[in-house]
Amino acid sequence: MVFFRIILFCFGFIVPSFANFALAQKASISGYVKDSLTGETLVGASIRTEDGLHGTVTNVYGFFSLSISNPKIPIICSYVGYNPKRILLKKEVNENIQFALSPKERESREVIITGERNDRNVKSTEMGRIELSGEKIKSLPVVFGEPDVLKAITLLPGIKSGGEASTGFYVRGGGPDQNLILMDEAVVYNPSHLFGFLSVFNSDAVKNIEIIKGGMPANYGGRLSSILNVNMREGNNQQFKYSGGIGLISSRLSAEGPIKKGKSSFLISGRRTYIDIFARPFLPDEIKGNSYYFYDVNLKLNFILSPKDRIYVSGYFGRDILDYKSRTNSAVNFNFGWGNSTATLRWNHIFNAKLFSNTSIIFNRYELFNDFKFGAGGFNVRSNLLDWNLKNDFTYYPNDKHQIKFGFNYTFHTFQPGILAGNIGSAKITETINKQYAHEYAAYALDEWKINNRWSVNYGLRLVAFQLVGPYTQKEYDNDTQLPNGKSFSYGRNETIAFYPRLEPRFNCNYLINENSSIKASYTQTYQFLHLATTSGAQFPVDLWVPSSKLVKPQMARQYAIGYFRNFRENAYETSAEAYYKPMRNQIEFKPGASLFFNQNLENEMVFGQGTSYGLELFLKKKTGKFTGWVGYTWSKSTRQFDELNEGKPFYFRYDRTHDMSVLISFQINKKWAGNVVFVYGTGNATTLPDSRYAYRYGIDPVTGEPDYIFIDKYSSVNSFRLPAYHRADLSFTYNQIQTKKFESSWNFSIYNVYNRANPYFIYFLPDIKSQTVKAYMVYLFPIVPSVQWNFKF
Amino acid sequence: MKKAIIKYVILFIATLQLAACEKEIKINIPASKEELVVEASINQLSPTLNYVILSKTMDYFNPSLSLLAVRNAKVFITEGNIVGNDTIYNIANQTQFFDLVDSLFPGIYVNPLFIGKVETPYKLDVELVDGRKITSKTFIPKPVVIDSMHYWFEPNNKDTNAYFYLQWQDGPEQNNYRVVLKRGFIPFLSGWGYGDRFYSFDDALINNQPRPFLMLNPFKYGDTVNIYLSQIGRPEYLFWDSFRNAANNGGPFATPVSVKSNVTGAIGSFTGYALTQEQIILR
Repeated sequence: MVFFRIILFCFGFIVPSFANFALAQKASISGYVKDSLTGETLVGASIRTEDGLHGTVTNVYGFFSLSISNPKIPIICSYVGYNPKRILLKKEVNENIQFALSPKERESREVIITGERNDRNVKSTEMGRIELSGEKIKSLPVVFGEPDVLKAITLLPGIKSGGEASTGFYVRGGGPDQNLILMDEAVVYNPSHLFGFLSVFNSDAVKNIEIIKGGMPANYGGRLSSILNVNMREGNNQQFKYSGGIGLISSRLSAEGPIKKGKSSFLISGRRTYIDIFARPFLPDEIKGNSYYFYDVNLKLNFILSPKDRIYVSGYFGRDILDYKSRTNSAVNFNFGWGNSTATLRWNHIFNAKLFSNTSIIFNRYELFNDFKFGAGGFNVRSNLLDWNLKNDFTYYPNDKHQIKFGFNYTFHTFQPGILAGNIGSAKITETINKQYAHEYAAYALDEWKINNRWSVNYGLRLVAFQLVGPYTQKEYDNDTQLPNGKSFSYGRNETIAFYPRLEPRFNCNYLINENSSIKASYTQTYQFLHLATTSGAQFPVDLWVPSSKLVKPQMARQYAIGYFRNFRENAYETSAEAYYKPMRNQIEFKPGASLFFNQNLENEMVFGQGTSYGLELFLKKKTGKFTGWVGYTWSKSTRQFDELNEGKPFYFRYDRTHDMSVLISFQINKKWAGNVVFVYGTGNATTLPDSRYAYRYGIDPVTGEPDYIFIDKYSSVNSFRLPAYHRADLSFTYNQIQTKKFESSWNFSIYNVYNRANPYFIYFLPDIKSQTVKAYMVYLFPIVPSVQWNFKF
Repeated sequence: MKKAIIKYVILFIATLQLAACEKEIKINIPASKEELVVEASINQLSPTLNYVILSKTMDYFNPSLSLLAVRNAKVFITEGNIVGNDTIYNIANQTQFFDLVDSLFPGIYVNPLFIGKVETPYKLDVELVDGRKITSKTFIPKPVVIDSMHYWFEPNNKDTNAYFYLQWQDGPEQNNYRVVLKRGFIPFLSGWGYGDRFYSFDDALINNQPRPFLMLNPFKYGDTVNIYLSQIGRPEYLFWDSFRNAANNGGPFATPVSVKSNVTGAIGSFTGYALTQEQIILR
């Protein structure tokens, strides 16, 4: 109730303030922009009057709405990589204009298709927002030659990768669970396959991605550090197309086409690894019975019901399966798997030329299962997280000075941390960790206001609330023995256990110094109600998402950012310098050595503290010419302080990276050949190393008199060591073998880690009896790795 | 459970390297603050398993690969009496432990005349030459009775590995166990560390019913297996459980664990074992 009142209150201010401007608008146009060959809508396409006085871009559904003062001036629609279209208006109100742009011929096309309006980085109020197209992601080299969304974004400033076997990414000093990863609006709780080598996103099905690392506008929320929006393609609604690729570790196949030409389409993409078959000859005997594979399927259906209504259906299903059969013990069998399933139903409705809405219903499930048999018994473990989500987003375009967005988002979460059942001999074992239920609410309103030729602001308010409800029984535990003390609290169905209403103000502003440069500043406050329970730095499939509760307060972060943006040579070069300061509260860590798996009293293992992160990000991008690409450099510092860790003294965040640099150069050699060079450099991760050791578990062999014991490492200060710096260069080439209307094929050759740098994966210590010393060894994952991939399309 | 998963995952990730790529590096670790370490163990059955070991932590790269012993300390273990809600430690029930084998095994304090009693509390008091004091308390619970033991081999595979099965009754009260297995003809352990396999577990999952203990292929045909099944107290169990985490820590999933000592003034444990011992020949 309070939410609605506050939204109406905000409207009370916004609506009258532009009522005056409404009179000056003589005409309006709205509609969609699409690719003339495939029918796919184009995101971020520019629609402006030829005199440059009015302009807008298409939204994520390809929809635009523009109010203009002089209907006699022609309208130009353009998108990088496509031939622009120019039209003259015949009437005042023009709804449902369909701009069908034709792609430019390959030679005259820029190699990089960014999909952004040329001067958007200077003129818009957005700070910390970067967009990458699906095609761009596919051209970037990664290990084993598999293009990957989560690896590609780590080439952008401010976004750091966790390391080679990790899809976790760290944005401006925040942890891996502080990024909201959305696939067609469905939250992806575990975005990795292959224990972190690859993400769940099949780049064949990706249309574009958008990452927001600062200046988050009010229509987004739920995580502290970033929003990664992965938008999937709709499918060719003109003709059937098949495409795919065969690579070293996996293969992909996609089919798309019209259900009813021009009106509806489908897209289905699938992927599977065969690393189990490929790796088997190399496996040592003890794990020869191992088989691991993953597969995923993306499905999209899209229906244009009428000029005012469109329906989209998206689905994702993926699984990773690890199967182990012992060779020495035929009865020992271990089967472990996990995966996400998501389904989204979206309805775009155009009320009139000025009001666009999208309503989505989303179902999302992440689950984990494990079956372990050993002859005289066996166990199985199940764990899952289920979401039902309803959201509605409106965009109102009253005139070309304001763009208003408002909406709500409701999610019902069900957490099932674990069910264990099994037996050893005749003893039966069952153990269940109680399910938890929660409602998560959000409502927002924002206004993107172009005050005058120099000033624009985007201000908004997001109201959020989290309600943990029963049925639930909370057992009380004795802190010393870690056993239940017999007392418990019971909550009935939908009875509130904890309730956290919070306010998130957001503010971005842009001061245009001249046509080519601007200064921007932003302030955001965000809360996060779901937390990832993990002790190691690597995100692991058994890691649990836990809700805020009576003891666990919501995490909070504020971000202050300021930046200078400048374009050169008519937007051929984009540069920016952005500085940010981000204090975080109610951060969660686990006690060292905490046992998280199947822990009935997980909250007892948590410690709470705060974090601080600040930095400077410099970025230079070249968009046109034979050579294109970017250079990003970030200097930053990120620390944490917990009373119960490190004797209460602040320590470096594990992923603190003082210097981080990435360079990407793309070039077109000739009609057939194109290439990419990537170079990355980062200060090594902070890590905790033992500073002393002691002998324990002593025994004496009575015959030889030799003592027997093991050494235990003792740790004191947290994260006070730095691993050696991480740097590597990659090279990739694409050879366009056949390029005809009927069939296209290309070869991709890549070399990962060209100069064979041994980048540390972890360090361990081993006593050396001969020299009577303890030696340190560094394990590294990938030496130079060449790979090849063949892609086709027909 | 998670340890099993992690073990398989590490093995799998290792295979992706197609070879173990590693190299030695030089690391500078500054000097650390010295701390005392205690490993004290008493039981009611086997005299070779009553001892108090005193040592110190050493700098990580200290070239010594042996125990850094603490010598000439005064070590006392006092038997207690439970009177109502209190425990009384009478100095008359105090036994001193001496480093009798100081020349061969410094830091180990024993008293061959000491015999533990079941369902009895004990107190440990240590005073070092430099005046530092260490104290701790423990309790020897009631030992369990093994109901049955049997073993079998892989069908048609007598030559290799045996399954080994042990069963006892777990009572309704909270129980914590430590099992140590030793293969070989010598029937007694001198020091718990001389065992081959070590397990610590409680009865959270299997309570108040016959408790099975299953071992997969540790032993071959003809082996002599010595089983040491003990009941221990709760703080002692929490120590040995954390010790297991600390001992198995390493690799990319390592976290800086520390043991949950039940000793004041030092790191380590004072554990009273209610010991049940059996021997079986696998033939």
